[in-house]
Amino acid sequence: MSLFDKFQKNAVLYNALSEAGRNPFTVQMDEILGPTRAIVKGKEIVLAGTNNYLGLTFREEVVSAAQAAVAEQGAGTTGSRFANGTYASHKALERALAAFLGFSRCIVFSTGYQANLGAISALAAPGKDVIFIDADCHACIYDGCQLSGAETVRFRHNSPEDLDRRLSRLDGDEKYAGMGKLVCIEGMYSMFGDVAPAKEFLDVARRHGAYLFVDEAHSFGVYGESGRGVVEAQGVIDEIDFYSGTFSKSLVSIGGFVASNHPELDYLRFSARPYMFTASPSPANVAAATAALQCIAAEPDLRKRVWANARRVHEAFTQLGLETCAPPGPVIAVKLPDRETAFAAWSFLIDKGVYVNLAIPPGTPNAASILRLSVSAAHTNDDLDIVIDAYGAMAETFAQARVTA
Amino acid sequence: MADIQEDDDLVFHKICALLEPLNHKGVKLTRDTDLVADLEIDSVSVLDIVMDIEDNYDLSIPVNTISETRTIGELVDAIHALKKQQA
Ligand SMILES: Cc1ncc(COP(=O)(O)O)c(C=O)c1O
Repeated sequence: MSLFDKFQKNAVLYNALSEAGRNPFTVQMDEILGPTRAIVKGKEIVLAGTNNYLGLTFREEVVSAAQAAVAEQGAGTTGSRFANGTYASHKALERALAAFLGFSRCIVFSTGYQANLGAISALAAPGKDVIFIDADCHACIYDGCQLSGAETVRFRHNSPEDLDRRLSRLDGDEKYAGMGKLVCIEGMYSMFGDVAPAKEFLDVARRHGAYLFVDEAHSFGVYGESGRGVVEAQGVIDEIDFYSGTFSKSLVSIGGFVASNHPELDYLRFSARPYMFTASPSPANVAAATAALQCIAAEPDLRKRVWANARRVHEAFTQLGLETCAPPGPVIAVKLPDRETAFAAWSFLIDKGVYVNLAIPPGTPNAASILRLSVSAAHTNDDLDIVIDAYGAMAETFAQARVTA
Repeated sequence: MADIQEDDDLVFHKICALLEPLNHKGVKLTRDTDLVADLEIDSVSVLDIVMDIEDNYDLSIPVNTISETRTIGELVDAIHALKKQQA
């Protein structure tokens, strides 16, 4: 019995992709030319599969803030938030995020993954609390549940009715009497780009005395009047219990955070293991996120641009007869009939100079095979022409990709 | 003996009916059939099938229980235990 036997099944899949010429999971960007362009295998391609929604990766203010922080505070902190790695810049960013979002407090973690892992695992305890998660929640939310050890119930994606039914089952069960209840959802879901009915979820959670935790990793900076996410757009940001986010998308850095109005949030600082036992984000990362946050707060234009670009691409795809998975938004996923077509279409697009993400089962909801495209405020009209032309040629070549024509 | 018990077991039959569309290799379903190893159903699809089972019996099977469940028989037993608890 080998340690490695269990990898066999996925290894076959992975190797088959490599043999077919290009493996979507090993694409290497040799040179980064700007927020929307890179060189891959000697060829310039348009990046349409990143999470650089506001396109700030190369912004002068962001880059120079990171450079100054390295010079002034050093390359790394060599310590954890809990013990020996909290700098004034971490605390200043926590205050800036709390102020921007309108929460009384915020905790900065080393990644968004660790923010969710740390918060959920610390908030819920086995035998004391029950967690309810949307079926399509990100892996780090599932992992947070697992690390907590608390009983975890999965409800149907974006269905407040199903959550209600599951919470009601517990209400009548004395085993659960007096237990804490935590409901976890996301703002915008990263694969299909669909959005949670956060207000309805909040109503259900409140009716059953449950807390609501919303991960706005992909929607922060993009949704809502001032970029505060889906919960702002739906008018419930002041009412939810916990708001989590990442620096790795619109904030173009590395790190994550959880914000709340509950004073008890600070208890996580001595309870959340993924906060306590890992190095704090580096000064450059913190400075870049701080500068990007200032851009987001000061420039509503960034949001206008990403939305205008999203609408343009979505409309073009609809006209091409492609099946998109959600209304217009920064993530535009096109559904394809099966894994093989999706892989062939992905290869076709990269050959045409367009990089998007291939997502296939088991990594996708409903065993769907999709091409996930993400739009950036930094995409120029030229960039989008190339993208739309490439999808047009793809739709011609793969007739089975079209639902209408 | 085991066979007669299985025939009597409505839960077992219900689960088999829900699994059949995913039984691409036409494996004969028994209590010992391993969902992942024998039927090659990925972990996410297992969770999705369990949702259909949950709706059918109007109960919630915690994710923790599902990750400890490998075979059809173990799933059947888990449902019986929950039905008793939630009755
Ligand atoms: C919904 C969601 N939450 C959290 C994360 C983790 O973020 P990070 O890249 O900062 O670890 C991601 C991205 O990978 C995500 O998609």
